[in-house]
Amino acid sequence: MRNLSKLFLVLSALCFAMPAFAQGGASAPVNWVAIAGGFSMAIASAVCGLAQGKATAAAAEAMARNPAARPGIQFALILGLALIESLALYTLVIIFAKVK
Amino acid sequence: MESDQAKPGTPDAASDSVAQHFYSGALERIRRFMLVLGPLVVVAIWFAFGLRSALGLAVGCAIAYLNFHWLKRVVSALGDRATGTNTTQSGKGVVLRFLLRYVLMALGAYGILTVSPASLNGLLAGLFLPVGAIVCEAGYELYVALARGL
Repeated sequence: MRNLSKLFLVLSALCFAMPAFAQGGASAPVNWVAIAGGFSMAIASAVCGLAQGKATAAAAEAMARNPAARPGIQFALILGLALIESLALYTLVIIFAKVK
Repeated sequence: MESDQAKPGTPDAASDSVAQHFYSGALERIRRFMLVLGPLVVVAIWFAFGLRSALGLAVGCAIAYLNFHWLKRVVSALGDRATGTNTTQSGKGVVLRFLLRYVLMALGAYGILTVSPASLNGLLAGLFLPVGAIVCEAGYELYVALARGL
């Protein structure tokens, strides 16, 4: 796990390194809104993915512990997953509205 | 230790049973709300913004409906796996179906974007159909709770 996080750290550093070397002369104005949109979508997707994973894990554990409560847990999980997904969609819509 | 559950045969137990029956139908009501809300909004958008936006919205609503249906099936399969009952579906199949929902959404958005970029707003709005249906269900439950005291 630690090696994997180190790998991601290096990869993210490389993503920034190449454009930094490429800069020079009269460059076009940077579209910061698009860059911020990309970052916000990435953050929203990551957090929504984490939240969905956590909700699913908790629901699976609860259903395994108490199978009699399955209908209620299943209903709450479906609603929760649908609403979490919609949060990522909100971000996407805002990005489309701002970047266009 | 005193139990929280009402004793069978008492008025409290009957009320609990009615409430349980009411809340167990919530998912089916949400599905029906989606079926009613989708066409209504599509017609309204057709009159307000034109055919292209309405077409995008209709595609978005269809994707959202299918997405919600598959989500229900995936969660049901997950429940089967977690409780160890009726394990006819493989774990890979459950995960694949969960991921296939995102592929379907991406394909729909890509198709709309290449055919008619003007319909993209409609498509994005259509993807919120389950949220609208859940809000309708919440309002209905609130109304029933206030009217019947469930």
